[in-house]
Formats: sequence, structure tokens, C-alpha cells
Amino acid sequence: MDMNEKPKVEEKVEEQKPQEVPEVEAPKLPDTKEGKLVAELLEKAPYAEGNVRRERRVEFKVPAERIHEFLELASEKFEMLIQISVVDWLKEGEFELVYQLWSVSESVHAFVRTRIPRENARMPTIMDIWPVAETYEREAHEFFGIVFEGNPRLGPFILEPREYEKHPLRKDFNMIGYVKTIYGEDFDRYDESKTNYVI
Amino acid sequence: MSNLEVPKELREEAKAHDMYLHPIDKDTYELFFGPQHMATENFSIILKMDGSRVEKAIVNPGFLHRGFEKLAEQRPYFTNIALLLRICVPESDVPENIYSMAVDEIVGWEVPERAQWIRTVVLEMARMSAWMFWIMGFGNEIGLYTAGQWAAAYRERFMRLFEELTGGRVYHIYTVPGGVRRDIPGDRWLRQLRDTVEYLKGKMKDFDEILFDNYITFERTEGVGVMDKKFALKHAVTGPNLRATGVPYDVRKDDPYLFYPELEFEVPVLKEGDSLARVLVRRYEMEQDLYLLEQLLDMGPPSGPYMVKDARLKALPRFKPPKGDAYAHVESTKGDFGAYVVSDGTHKPYRVHVRGPSQSHGVTVLEELLKGARLADVPVILKTLDNCPPDIDR
Repeated sequence: MDMNEKPKVEEKVEEQKPQEVPEVEAPKLPDTKEGKLVAELLEKAPYAEGNVRRERRVEFKVPAERIHEFLELASEKFEMLIQISVVDWLKEGEFELVYQLWSVSESVHAFVRTRIPRENARMPTIMDIWPVAETYEREAHEFFGIVFEGNPRLGPFILEPREYEKHPLRKDFNMIGYVKTIYGEDFDRYDESKTNYVI
Repeated sequence: MSNLEVPKELREEAKAHDMYLHPIDKDTYELFFGPQHMATENFSIILKMDGSRVEKAIVNPGFLHRGFEKLAEQRPYFTNIALLLRICVPESDVPENIYSMAVDEIVGWEVPERAQWIRTVVLEMARMSAWMFWIMGFGNEIGLYTAGQWAAAYRERFMRLFEELTGGRVYHIYTVPGGVRRDIPGDRWLRQLRDTVEYLKGKMKDFDEILFDNYITFERTEGVGVMDKKFALKHAVTGPNLRATGVPYDVRKDDPYLFYPELEFEVPVLKEGDSLARVLVRRYEMEQDLYLLEQLLDMGPPSGPYMVKDARLKALPRFKPPKGDAYAHVESTKGDFGAYVVSDGTHKPYRVHVRGPSQSHGVTVLEELLKGARLADVPVILKTLDNCPPDIDR
């Protein structure tokens, strides 16, 4: 009896697997304007992954080398580039770039995520799609050291020239060490072991 | 000028930016506009002038940079409120709100109705007092000082109400994740707010006569700093500046939050896209804000708690939200103000990125609009764009 049951279970699993694949994709994209928007974009860009987070928030994952191509497609529906956020994932050794887009016509916010290695980080510029990207890329370059190829104005922007190429928003930037070199002995008020702050 | 010796390094640096630190010929010269100039508010622009016309402008921010985003990574969630609200001084409630809304979304808190009502009232009061601050700046730029002095006095009424509600005049530290820090003081406060709203409604006519319907305003702003719809969208211009070009985008309507879906208001739109359109859009919005405050007061505060009930709130410094990220944005007087918060499950946020509206319209757009403008129009363009330097520097 036992011998007969085991292969039955295995067979069932094998039969269900090919059936599940279309079933999983269908509930991912609900039948709303957000779902239709994501489906429409993914049809044109099959290399990307997309899902709906909640009402008026959608999300895409795009490989870094095709980001320009994808954003050019997305710019038909999403008219505005709201900001480019960079998150430094130190343990994984990667930068996560979040291109945040807003569609004025559809009222939908989109996160377009991509990951690039931290060492020698390079990205193509998207200034030709949204000219405002110039400012955001200058900021990302100054604080994280990402080089945007094609942006002519990368250089000291907000920080002082002496702080340029130190990339202060990286997680491995030694803030206390840097402040000590600038302020020297005046900097003795700070308690390094203090981790608790109370409102 | 020619007798002054300019250091070699400075000259080389300027040359790299296509600028020369000495008069090039009789009429072409360079002008450092700000950061001490009153119109720029700690912001600096390097102007390359041809006679009294601007040939080229280079924005030079960084005089304010205080590193809020880095500091926010070093502090527990609730302590960050006292830090981030300093980003935009005239309406300090906006950074509080966007940060709180983003953290609420990460944790999954449904904010109680009473707290939502109070947050909406506080946001509208902040908008109103920021308009008054803007009138002060703009009136002074075009020489109508009386309007500015009146506006400063009317702003004081909101400051007093804020002081009674929150304990602070300019920096309130009032909206926190999960609700607000304390309840409204009582019915007397609500009556005072209604009095203020009604008083200002009457005063709008005076503002029309002295500022908005004034010959000087029309003369100085009409046809100055024109941008069109497509240009504005490509440069992510938001708020009144975008609505003056004919795009009816308002976060309160398009991505509703708090009590706004239940309130009635119009989104004023003009299509000229020049400085005058921007001024008039702001004028209409002031009226709508007063109308919104009136509706909120008619509705009255809903009963219930003003803070979510959660056991985690008892040990605030060690409060840990789950992993995740969220983006929240509100409509401020400057435009679409947003915050992106990433949580990695510890008691400090992993990354906080604030989207100041001036970041998009204060750098490239300003440089483009200043091209070909008269020197006298530079402060007018700056003020009608409502550039808030701390949004860029943070």
C-alpha cells in the first residue's frame, strides 16, 4: 500500500507544476488600471518583472544594462521622473537604484528598481529622456560615487570641494573619523558608545 | 576691476565652467548673485551678464547642506521627526507628515480618524502660513512692502495657534508615526482657528487691491520666465508652477491622503505659464485652502484616540518596524514633497531620501528660465518659482 501511494503523490506534483505557472501570473496583476498598465509595459519589455503593490503604486525590476531602454518605453505613460533614490546594500555589495516615476494621466507611482555592483559603479544617463535627471544624477554621483556615462556636469555640486570623492552617504563612510580630522580636538563632546537616543 | 588680482586656481576653476573672473569686454561681466542677497535665501547663482541681460546662469547650491539624510540613518525612527522637519522652514509640518506616512505604511498602521483630521488641519494651516511667508518675499521683491508686512502679521496668528497646539512656533515636532503627539487643546482653540480663517477671508480682498490686482505686479510679471507644459513635465516641475502651465496635477486629488477625499475643493489651472500665471494660481489656492479649513471645522474633529494603540510604542527608542520600503508624498506650497523610507528591520531607518520640489525646479529649470532675462527679473523669477533652497541642499 505504502509503495503504491508514494509514486501517486509524485505524479500529482509533476502534473500540477506546468498548470501552476499561468495561474500564479494571473492573480499577480489584478484587473485594475494599475494591473493593465503593468501588463501593457511588460508586453513590450519581457526582460522586466513587474507587480502591483497597492492602489496607485506599481513596481518593476529591470536589469541594469537595459534600464535606458525600459525607461524610454515607460516615459510614454509616466510623464515625470520624481526622483532617483540610491540605497547602499553594503552586505550584498550592491547599489540599488530606484527610479521613481509618476504618471500624471493615470495617477500611478512606479518604482523602477535595478541593482549594480558597488565597485566601479557605472550607469547610462537618462538625461535624454527626462532632462531633470541631470540634477538627480549629479546628486547620486556626489553622495555615492556612481558614474553616469553621458552626463556632462558630474562634479562637486552640493558638497564642498574637499568633500568631493568621499561619498558620504555610502554605508562604509567613516563619519566620526572624517569629522575628527576636520575639527580635531574640539570634537570631544560626542560619546561614541551612545546608541540610545530618547525623544 | 582689472587691478584686482584673482588667484590662479580660482580663475582656472571658473574657466572650466566657461566663466571668466574679469570683465571680458566693456559690457560682458560676471555677477555673483547670492547667497547674501535677500531674494535668494542662502542660495547662490553665478550670472554671466551682457549689459543688463543674463546670458548664462549657473546654480551654485550647498550653502545650507546639513546632511539630514545621513543623520537620519544614525537615529531611531521617532527621533528623526525633530530632524527632518527642519528641511523646509516655512512649512515644517510637511516633512513631518511625509516621513510619518511612509513609516505608517511600512508598519501597516491605520491611523485613527481623529489623528487624520488633526493632521489635515495642521497641513492646511501650514500651507496657509507658508502662503503668507511667500507673499512677504514676493511683495518685497517687487517693492510692495506693505503687503509683505501685512502677511507677516497674519502669519503670526497661525504661529500662535500652532504654539498652543504643539508647543512650538516654527518647529512643531507634532506629527509622529501612528498619529499625533497630543490632542487638540479644546473648543476654544477651534473657535480661534475659525476666527482666524474668517478674518483672513475678509483680508484677501485687501491683498487683491494691494498686490494681486496691482498694476505693478502685472507690469513686473507678465511674460517673464515663460515655460510650457511639455518643458514643465520633462523637468518634473510640480505644484503651482506646473498648474500655471495648464496641467491639473494636485497630489491631494490624484493620490488622495488623510481627509482630502471627503472634502470639496477646486484645483486652479492657468495655461500661460509665465510668472503672472504662477502668482495668480497661488492667489486662487489661498482661497481654496481657507475654504478647506472652513469645511474641516464644520465637520468637527471625529471622536476617538489620537494615536494608534500598539504595545511597541511603549519602548520608543527600540521600536522596530518590519523590513520594507514606502514612498509617501503630499502637496506643499512648493509642489510635490515626498519621502522614500527604507527599513531593514532594525530600530534605525536604513535610508531616508527626501524629494524636495525645488530639487527639480530650482536647478535646471531656473538656469533655463534665467537665460535672456533682465537683471531686475532675476528675483521675480526666483520668487514666482518659489524656490526653497533647503529642499535642494537638505
